[in-house]
Amino acid sequence: MIEPKFEASVGMSRKWDAREAGREVARNTIEKLNRPPDFFLLFSTIHYEKHGGFQEFLNGVWDVLPKGTPLIGGTAVGFLNNYGCYTRGTSALAVSYTDMDVAIGYGKNTKRNPKKAATQSTENINKNFKNTKFKNKFVLNLISGPELIRIPGQGYKKIVDSGIISKFVVQAFGVSQYLFQKGIGREDEVFEEIIDKLPSCNMVMSTSIDDNKGIRNYQFFNESILTNSVVNLGLSLNLDIGVCTTHGMKETDTKFNITKLNRNKHIILEINNRPAVPELYKILNWPNNFLNEETMHYRILYYPISLRRHGRDVPIVMPAILKDYIVTPCIIDKGEVKILTISGRDLIYAIQNNLKSFGNIQPEFGLCSTCSTIMQTMGNKIYVIKEKMMEYFKEKPFLMFFCAGEGTYSPTQDYTYANMSYNTAIFGQ
Amino acid sequence: MRDDPIAMVLDDLLKLDDILACMVARHNMISVMPSGDGFKPEVHDVWDIIHRAMNDVFNVIGQYSGAGLGEMEFRLQDYEVLFYIFPDTENALVAIIPALANKGLLEVEMENARREILKIMNNSEREKLVATV
Repeated sequence: MIEPKFEASVGMSRKWDAREAGREVARNTIEKLNRPPDFFLLFSTIHYEKHGGFQEFLNGVWDVLPKGTPLIGGTAVGFLNNYGCYTRGTSALAVSYTDMDVAIGYGKNTKRNPKKAATQSTENINKNFKNTKFKNKFVLNLISGPELIRIPGQGYKKIVDSGIISKFVVQAFGVSQYLFQKGIGREDEVFEEIIDKLPSCNMVMSTSIDDNKGIRNYQFFNESILTNSVVNLGLSLNLDIGVCTTHGMKETDTKFNITKLNRNKHIILEINNRPAVPELYKILNWPNNFLNEETMHYRILYYPISLRRHGRDVPIVMPAILKDYIVTPCIIDKGEVKILTISGRDLIYAIQNNLKSFGNIQPEFGLCSTCSTIMQTMGNKIYVIKEKMMEYFKEKPFLMFFCAGEGTYSPTQDYTYANMSYNTAIFGQ
Repeated sequence: MRDDPIAMVLDDLLKLDDILACMVARHNMISVMPSGDGFKPEVHDVWDIIHRAMNDVFNVIGQYSGAGLGEMEFRLQDYEVLFYIFPDTENALVAIIPALANKGLLEVEMENARREILKIMNNSEREKLVATV
């Protein structure tokens, strides 16, 4: 009997030129492998859009990567790997393993029709894994993230002060998503449908985004650059797999009732039967103008809300304010919700607790889809998270990518969708 | 200046959209500037007042660097100035950014630049020692 051979490797590039960076990240990822990679997972910050473009970036990767290697990936706010923490550059993870089947798939128009996109993206995986002989299955979903609506005369805004424009945006919300595929990512809807189609797979879900401005994002699928799409990497293999979501958010005593939502259940119109934003200010004793375009970058991060969906807690960060209304990143239900709180220390405990949950697996490699707000909150102290990852993985390769909406699913633990969370998949013995 | 490895690190930092100026500096002295165009044009009008304020901050850095002062920052008009201090020295990596920038993400790259510059400084110290021996 031939011994199964497993190798994994992580690489990166900090070059500015798109083609050169593509070549370098491919070269220094696969040069550590003795066999050609069985898949290539690729993340990049948005910067290459202005330094040659993403097609050139992918062309650079394919200058080096053996033809036919399954490749998926997308843009991310940043990444953290064995080498450091970065908000500029590109990083990749490749695996070659004799006891593994790999299948990839994609679906288009996630913001227009998330269910159809999800179904398309799973067809190839379902077909390929029907007769797989390996024991465990995993799927990584990368879904196009939110894109802000450009407001005439105001540009891209996270806070809209005008009541008239806000009312117009609320009315046009669904239309904008259908016609222009702008607005929130609808990744929660895509994810739920993928779970429905592949219920026996463990999953980590991530979203692609730019540098947190929420203007554009890209997905990579083999030689193609996609937008408003979901790309999936499916693995069936003989390694043990664990997935886990943790966040450091704690409940406060502050509760309120969401009494009115918009038609699509994405915008909170009323809290306690009053306009949502003034009521929230009153409940939290915030002074006028506490949230503005500038403070949305940091103040909002410390006041997450635990919303509800199908009886589950959905901790989220408010992504945008439309005068009196609060936009939420996912579909939510009416009812009582809680204000949460978070600190830098809680974020460190959250990754420690996450990794602790895999006590019975010796890791060979790991992936972690992490909310970009964590990187934004921690700033240069994100290196503390890297130390915790290194303590766990030691010399084994890992790749944490920072996104805007993330989750996990396992057939034994159901699914989670959250903001400001760590969503880890560990592969090992 | 062109082949100075520290200037090359600063060149990389200055390429980020929201880094309007960056340098390695100490009280009353800018030690290393980026090798290319230098500062971005929007900083020129406020540079004199920022520069004066920077010198006052360097007085504090000089006093507390030995005690473990790691970073400082101040906001002036529509700009923020970040100081990433090199441990136990009076020198800092300084960057001017717009007040509305997403500072958390920039901080990650400021930290990477500080680490790279420290490595360069330590290597050149080591080379000097070897040359002396």
